[in-house]
Amino acid sequence: MGTARVVFDKWDGRYAARMKDVRSSAVRDLFAAATRPDMISFSGGMPEISRVPIDEVVAAATAALRESGCEALQYGSSEGRLALRAFVCELMAEIGVRIRPDDTVITAGAQQSLDLLAKVFLDPGDVVITEGPTYLGALQAFSAYQPRIVCIPMDAEGMRTDVLAAELEALGPRGAKFIYTIPNFQNPGGVTLTPARRRTLLELARTYDIPVIEDDPYGRLRFEGGHAMPLRALDEEVIYLGTFSKIFAPGLRLGWAIAPRPILGRFLLAKQAADLCGSAYAQLTAERYFGGTRWRRVLQDLTRTYAERRNAMAAALQEHFPPEARWTVPEGGFFIWVEMPAFLDLKSILAEAVEHGVTYVPGDAFFPDGRGRNCMRLAFCYAEPEAINEGIRRLAEVLEDRLELYRAFAAAGAVPAGPDAAAERG
Amino acid sequence: MKEKIAVLMGGRSLEREVSLKSGERVCAALTERGYRVLGLDVTPDLVSTLRAERPDAVYIALHGKYGEDGTVQELLEFLDIPYTGPGVVASALAWDKAVSKRLFVREGVPTPAWVTFTADAFKEMGAATALDRVPEVVGGFPLVVKPAKQGSALGLTKVQDAAHLPDALLSALSYGDAAIVERWIDGIELAISVLDDAEGPRVLPPVEMVPKSGVFDFSAMYTPGETDYYVPARLDDTTASEVIALAARVHTLLGCRHVSRADLVLGLDGVPYVLEVNTSPGMTETSLLPMAAAAVGMDFADLADHLVRSALDGAV
Repeated sequence: MGTARVVFDKWDGRYAARMKDVRSSAVRDLFAAATRPDMISFSGGMPEISRVPIDEVVAAATAALRESGCEALQYGSSEGRLALRAFVCELMAEIGVRIRPDDTVITAGAQQSLDLLAKVFLDPGDVVITEGPTYLGALQAFSAYQPRIVCIPMDAEGMRTDVLAAELEALGPRGAKFIYTIPNFQNPGGVTLTPARRRTLLELARTYDIPVIEDDPYGRLRFEGGHAMPLRALDEEVIYLGTFSKIFAPGLRLGWAIAPRPILGRFLLAKQAADLCGSAYAQLTAERYFGGTRWRRVLQDLTRTYAERRNAMAAALQEHFPPEARWTVPEGGFFIWVEMPAFLDLKSILAEAVEHGVTYVPGDAFFPDGRGRNCMRLAFCYAEPEAINEGIRRLAEVLEDRLELYRAFAAAGAVPAGPDAAAERG
Repeated sequence: MKEKIAVLMGGRSLEREVSLKSGERVCAALTERGYRVLGLDVTPDLVSTLRAERPDAVYIALHGKYGEDGTVQELLEFLDIPYTGPGVVASALAWDKAVSKRLFVREGVPTPAWVTFTADAFKEMGAATALDRVPEVVGGFPLVVKPAKQGSALGLTKVQDAAHLPDALLSALSYGDAAIVERWIDGIELAISVLDDAEGPRVLPPVEMVPKSGVFDFSAMYTPGETDYYVPARLDDTTASEVIALAARVHTLLGCRHVSRADLVLGLDGVPYVLEVNTSPGMTETSLLPMAAAAVGMDFADLADHLVRSALDGAV
C-alpha cells in the first residue's frame, strides 16, 4: 500500500504572507475552558449591556424601520448618515473638539478605523509607534500590513515622552508612519496621559512630522479626576477615533473617525473597498436612541457601575495579592494592569488559574514581541463586586503558590532572585 | 431504534475545546448510525442526568484530567454503565507519564531517559539545587520538559541549554504538580493506534507526523497545515512490523481495552522509543486515530460505532 500524505487544508501554501503568523494558540483554548458557568472572567473587556434599556432600543429600532424603512434597508453613503455625524459633532463639542459633519466618517466600530488607517498608511516594514503594552486589536489590525511596531513604555503619567523623543530622534523626521495612542484609561495599561505629556507628544509629532492617532473608546467612562483635553482638541491634525460601543452597545458596530480632509478622503476610498457603506439601519437606530435624553442617565448609571467594580477590584487586590505585585488604579475605563516580578510567567500560570476558576489575559498579548509575560490585564467591567473579590482571592492563591515555587528556585540560584534580574532573560 | 448512548465531553479540563470538538463529531456519527445520542457537557449534574437518562453505554470523548485519568471511569463502574475505552487502572497508568515510563523500563520497552520532579520536591526539599545533574542523568541537551499528567502537549517546551531549564520546569509545573524532563530524541514521530476486536488488539497503520516548526506542540497539533502527516508512515517493512508489535505490546502492558494510541519516536539509532500512551485519543478533524482508521477503510462513523459496540458488547 502506498503512503498518502494527509492534507487538511489543501489551500495551505497559497495564503498571503501577512497571514502566516496567525496560529491556533493554547491560550485561546484555555479561554474555551473558561466558558464554564462557575468561572470568574477578568479576561474580556465586555460592556455591561444589561444596563442598556432594551425597550428604548426596541422603540428606536422599530421607529427606524417604520418611519425610514426604505433608507434603513438600502445602501447608504460611505461617510455615514448626516444626522449621526451631526450628533458626533455634538458629542465631540462636549469634550472640547469643534468639528463639522464633513470632518468625520461613521465606521463599523473603532476597530474598522484601525484596519483602514493601517491600510491607508502602511507598507511592509514601515514603523508604527504605540504604547507598550497596547490594545491587542490594534496590534492585530496593524500587523496584517506587516509594519515594524515600536513600543514606548508608560509610567503613571502615560506614555514616556522622553523615551518617545529618543526613539523619534533615532528614527528621524517622518521615520514612523504614525503614533498610535490611547490617552484615556489606556487599554490595557490603565493609565491616563497627563495634560503636560499630551502637549509634549503633540510637539514631538509636529517636530518629526508624524501623524497621531488618538483612540478614545473609554473617555466618557471617567470615575473621578478632571477631564483631560483630547489631543484632537489641542491639534486639528490629530486623527481621532470614537466608538458607540461603550456609550451605547457594541452589537450595533458603530464608531467614528475624525481626520484632516485629505486623510479622510483616502480613508473613505479604503472604506468603500471594504464595505461600501455602514449599516443605515444601525445608524438610524442610534440616531433615535440618542435623540432622547435617557442615554445620558444610562451612561451615568454604567459609569457608576464600572466605578464600583473598579473599587471592588482595587480593594480585593490590596487585600489578597502578594506584596510582590504592582498594579494601576485607573480613573476610568475597564482595565487594571498588574505587573509581577519579572521571573513569573503569567502565560503558563493561566492554566493553573483556569483550574482555580478565574481567567485574565497574559500581558504578552499586548506586546508585538513576546514581552509582558510577567504582566496581566484584569478587566473589572463585567463581574459583580462579590465575584470580583472571590476571583482576585483565587488568583492570589495561584500566584502565591507559584511564588513559593519560584522562591525555591531562586533560593537554589536556578533563577535570578530579584525583579530586576529578569530583563536579560527576555 | 438502536441503543441510547451518552457522549461525555467538555468538562473542566484544560482540553475542553478539543474535547467538545471530538464529542460533537462523535455525536453526529452515532446519530447517523441510528443510535439515540445524548451529548453531555460534564457538569456537577452529570450523575443525576446519567441516572435519569439511563443510557445503555457512555462514549467518553473527554480529554485531560478527570476524563483520561480514571476518575470518570471509576464513576461509571460505580453507576454500572458500560463505557468506551480503557478501564480505571489502564487510564491511571497511561495518564501519569512518570508511572507509565517506569513500567516501560521495567518491561524492557524503550523510552527516552528522563527524570521526574514534583513541585513539592522543589518547595520542600530543595530539588532546584540539583538541576545541574539533569543533563548528565538524561544524556545531554536538547531536552523536552512537559507536565507528567497532561495531554495535547500543553506546557511542553524543548530546551536547548541549561539556562532555559528552570523556566521550562516552572512552565510545565503550571499545568500540574509534576513535570518530566526527558531526553529529546531526533527521529521520526509516530502515532500508532490500536483497536480491540474479536481477535484481540488490531494495530492500525502508523501515522507519521512532520511538524513544520520542528516540535509537535499544541499549535502544531491543532493548526491545519502546521504539520504534515503521512499514512502509513514511510517505514521499511521490518521497522513497520517492529513498531506495530511495540504498540500492541504497550496496549496490553498497560491493560488497555477497546482503544489506545501510542506516541513513539523512531530514533536515528533505529530504536523506537515509546513516549506515552493515550487512552482517550482525539477525534477532531485533525486527530490521529481517525486518520489511521481511514487508512484501513474505516470511516469516522465506523470508528465511533466500533468503539460503542465494544462497550455495549462487553468486549473487555
